[in-house]
Amino acid sequence: MNLGDVRFAQHAGVLLAELTGEIDMSNAESIRQAIVETTSNQEAGLVVDLSALQYLDSAGIQLLFRLREQLRTRGQGLALVIPADSASNDALRLAGVTPHLDTFQTREEALGSVSPAG
Amino acid sequence: MGWMSIEDPPFPDPPLPRGTGQAVLPPVELDLAPSEQVRLLYSLSDPALSELELDDFLNELLARVQEALSVDTVAILLFDEASQQLVARAARGLEEEVDRGVRIPIGRGFAGRIAAERVAIFIADVDHADILNPILRRRGIRSLLGIPLIVEGSLIGVLHVGSLSPREFGQTDLAVLQVAASRAAPGIERAQLVSALRHEQRVAMVLQRSLLPKNLVETAGVRVGARYVPASDGVGGDWYDMFELDGGRLGIAIGDVVGHGVRAASLMGQLRTALQAYALQGSEPGRVLALVDRFVQSLPEFAMATAAYAVLEPDTGRVELASAGHLPPLVVGGENPRVVELTPAPPLGAFPYGHCTELEMTLSPGETLVFYTDGLIERPGIPLTHSIDAMLELLAQETMVEDLCQLAIQQLVPVAGLRDDVALIAIQNTQVPDELVLDLPAEPRVLSEVRRALRRWLRHRGADREQAAEITLAVNEACANAVEHAYSPAPARFTVHAQTRDDGAVTVTVRDSGRWRAPRGEHRGRGLTIIKTVMDEVQTNRTPLGTEVIMRKRLRP
Repeated sequence: MNLGDVRFAQHAGVLLAELTGEIDMSNAESIRQAIVETTSNQEAGLVVDLSALQYLDSAGIQLLFRLREQLRTRGQGLALVIPADSASNDALRLAGVTPHLDTFQTREEALGSVSPAG
Repeated sequence: MGWMSIEDPPFPDPPLPRGTGQAVLPPVELDLAPSEQVRLLYSLSDPALSELELDDFLNELLARVQEALSVDTVAILLFDEASQQLVARAARGLEEEVDRGVRIPIGRGFAGRIAAERVAIFIADVDHADILNPILRRRGIRSLLGIPLIVEGSLIGVLHVGSLSPREFGQTDLAVLQVAASRAAPGIERAQLVSALRHEQRVAMVLQRSLLPKNLVETAGVRVGARYVPASDGVGGDWYDMFELDGGRLGIAIGDVVGHGVRAASLMGQLRTALQAYALQGSEPGRVLALVDRFVQSLPEFAMATAAYAVLEPDTGRVELASAGHLPPLVVGGENPRVVELTPAPPLGAFPYGHCTELEMTLSPGETLVFYTDGLIERPGIPLTHSIDAMLELLAQETMVEDLCQLAIQQLVPVAGLRDDVALIAIQNTQVPDELVLDLPAEPRVLSEVRRALRRWLRHRGADREQAAEITLAVNEACANAVEHAYSPAPARFTVHAQTRDDGAVTVTVRDSGRWRAPRGEHRGRGLTIIKTVMDEVQTNRTPLGTEVIMRKRLRP
């Protein structure tokens, strides 16, 4: 099976990307590309759900920052679903970057923050 | 074999009527003088020949006919019902006919007329006869004698013999050919069935083999061995499987579809695929089997199978197990060899609302979990529980999975062959070394292996889940740095060395042969931040030969 995977869903003008498995140096770049290619210009924003992700390291954190940069140039927002008890939250905390990313505890909050109406 | 001169026949043989072109002959009734050749023809109905496949049987028939009649050519064309044609199937002295796949429409030419009218035909001089097949003429055949092959009133083909010199075939020749035809025809039909059956078996075998995993997953902390042995009379519906799940967990499955042959084999393939697909969705073993059960219920034809499915977490040796009527697995190779006691549950497909047995257990380091199908232990007159106990005794002390598989197959599969097929899969939770030493190519794909091996080692050194995860994250960053900076004309490698000290601190050293470069950009900087935040102490040594990062962390008591 793939080390890590990404599944997409549409939520009223917002694209939801759900990450599963593990993200490291071996697959971070291809996952970032998959997300960028799937996010169309029509999207108001993107929500990346990392709740189910089992491993994230500095390569994955780099992915999140680059993604945010790319979306910003297109005028699209990025919200991350990273619950307090998730592996991703630990990685962000240990790397000291939690304050620099917009993170939410639940998918609903994250969707609300980037939806066209919100 | 010799060419018998027609001028000097062993006994007088009244010539067959000839005329010009084809002469239709009534069957002869003639007592043949007993001879070795005639005996060989009679023995064509020998049951010993009945096991031969079609081509072997036909070759035997042709050899005996050629010997008995001292002819230059012998050929058999079989009736193909679908096309209503005769198809050249076997020949001696006339191999081109077969090689070219000659087809003769019923009713046309020499062989076609024999088939249509179901009569023997003699052609004294090929030059003056209606011959459809140019190969006969090209080969230089001058005289031909042919008869139909008939079983219980149905035409199955044509047998003909030929001579390169003009030959007057006699009544005895025809009688000999009649014996050959009457004795061989049922054998041909039987051999056709045997061939069709063997073909079906071969298809099933190929199907089954291709469905079994070619390479068993090798992952940190786990060793796997497996065997599949088909039954002596064909194929069955046994399978084993193993696949990776997320989080480094492994799925191990075994199953046995009730029945034999192509249907059982193809059903096996479906169940195996269904089980893996449900398992990859991340469901618990019991839920996975319940879904497979529902799948079996939904099949158009009634089907039944036993199956067991287990998920092993190599970090801890924890096993979740579910079984639907399958035989209990064994745990061997440790201090407590045992049969894993399961409460009985019905097979998949047996009842509209089946249930399965669920169990949680732990494999200690060194222990091996063994799944098998009933073909391995089922023996007439011996209770299953006795056989299971005997198998446990046989395998109890085995600490190497390969040896275990070898031993089980050697000792338990009868020399005379199996009545039922056998699947066996053994998975070992390997010993955790005191010191972890990894030497790996400097490629991104190996990082997940490092994490798996290290996390498992840390858990067995007393780290809790959270601490093991954090240290693994930090060491991964050091390894990623080594991979990123791999700089060597030869394929670069790096090593990871982990050990514990008496004071309960863990030391992990990552060495590479790359040239040290200062961390570039925020990205690497974040990696270093992680290492420094997680570990108590970090020391980096740069030498002309490479870089060494030594990290220490005291484990929580």
